[in-house]
Amino acid sequence: MAYVAVRGGAEAIEASLEHLQYERVKHGVHIDTAALEATMRGFLDQVMSESSLYSERLASLAMKQSEGNSEEAVFLLRAHRSTLPRLYYSTVTDPREMFVLRRISSSFKDIPGGQILGASHDYLHRLLDFELVEETEADVLVKKCQFEQEDVPDSSDLQLERLPKVMDYLRAEGLLREFPVNDTEPSDVTKKAMAFPTNRSQRLQTLTRGQTGTVTSLGYAGLRGYGASHPNVGEVRVGWQPIHVAVQDDEDPYYIGAIKLTEVESFIPVNVDKEQQQVLEFDVGYGACFGQNETKAIAMSIVDHALETGGTTPIHDEEFVLLHVDIIESTGFISHLKMPHYVTFQTKLEQMRNIKKEGKS
Amino acid sequence: MQRAERTKLLIEVGRQEAMEMAKMICEQYEVIDIQEPRAGLVMVKMRESAKQSLFYIGEVLVTEAKVKVGDAFGLGIVREEEPVFARALAVIDAAYNGNFAPQEWATIFTNLSQRLEAEQQQTKRSIERTKVQFDTMQV
Repeated sequence: MAYVAVRGGAEAIEASLEHLQYERVKHGVHIDTAALEATMRGFLDQVMSESSLYSERLASLAMKQSEGNSEEAVFLLRAHRSTLPRLYYSTVTDPREMFVLRRISSSFKDIPGGQILGASHDYLHRLLDFELVEETEADVLVKKCQFEQEDVPDSSDLQLERLPKVMDYLRAEGLLREFPVNDTEPSDVTKKAMAFPTNRSQRLQTLTRGQTGTVTSLGYAGLRGYGASHPNVGEVRVGWQPIHVAVQDDEDPYYIGAIKLTEVESFIPVNVDKEQQQVLEFDVGYGACFGQNETKAIAMSIVDHALETGGTTPIHDEEFVLLHVDIIESTGFISHLKMPHYVTFQTKLEQMRNIKKEGKS
Repeated sequence: MQRAERTKLLIEVGRQEAMEMAKMICEQYEVIDIQEPRAGLVMVKMRESAKQSLFYIGEVLVTEAKVKVGDAFGLGIVREEEPVFARALAVIDAAYNGNFAPQEWATIFTNLSQRLEAEQQQTKRSIERTKVQFDTMQV
């Protein structure tokens, strides 16, 4: 059977797009992107992470244009990103340099620098706050002023820059496996498609830009028995990560601004052969992503470790994990099922009719 | 002052000052735009702590501008779409590269450094309230 070209959908598509536009404006209510940028932090962080493009302004525009549909917002940002030149690569940025806004450990109660809760939804009662329905701009300003006038210490010795890592203390005790600094240039999955087996940089890049829900589900599967073991979160840190670009020499780079990052180190106990003895040590699972998205980063650390160690369950299978976590790949392929498949379906239908006819005769 | 420190102060707390400093140079010298401000991307290379290797965490939207002032070239790069600010940073960079940055700018940077320190101190004082003070329960 040959392909058959048909026409006739153009006007209907045009009208469909007009309907889509109308859906966004039909209530006659306007919201500007500055308001979205100021108030939709969680959504923006998620789409910046999944689109692999850090820009609150573009993310808020994508949110408005997509009517809050995250897969569309990420698609818009990925498409826009492809129109922009890549001007520079940053110098190596290390979250040890982060200006920390929140840092907790579930492995140790007492950690140097302390448990710093910062701003988090973790301690909320998940009850709808109906007062927000009536909240006005004046109310917002009052709440802002009240917070800013809270009693705070006259001065603070709190160390938020170059905060020591929890894992350093396990390293000092020889309880973590040591790895030398590895300056091998990373691969870039946005420039060259992955081939299997992958290297570590490809895995981490794919996971960090993976769909939040998918990465979380895979991490959850790892915990429930489809992975090695139950990790302990050594450290979650969220903060402002300074980014530099070296143009002429590495000695004196340009500072271009700071971006918000989440970084997680999970501790996973493993048996290691040492001097002909089985010794218990900890491996570290690593997760990091744009914005404040702790669940994703923790799940990423579980999946990272599963992919590093190998095994027989699905989350140890790098093809299974890495080819399915990307939101554009997965939603694109699922969505293509909505496209006309008239010819393929007719072929199947014809086969079934023939089989049925032959069965009767 | 190192470029990294100078650009950090201007970007974090010195936007208004950067505009005024650039204006001062533009009034005294001919500034040629080598690269009009344009949007582009910086790919962020990151060190992960588990195996101490490198990977790319994603790209950051930036604006880049390049100028020439006399014989000196200047480059401005800043996060987000900030064409006016990026050009101002480029003009200031050229002034330092050409050694014609006015002496009084040193005072501006001292003030900016104090402002950044004050802002960070304010953040610390506020965040300190969220630091957990554990008390061991008597049972």
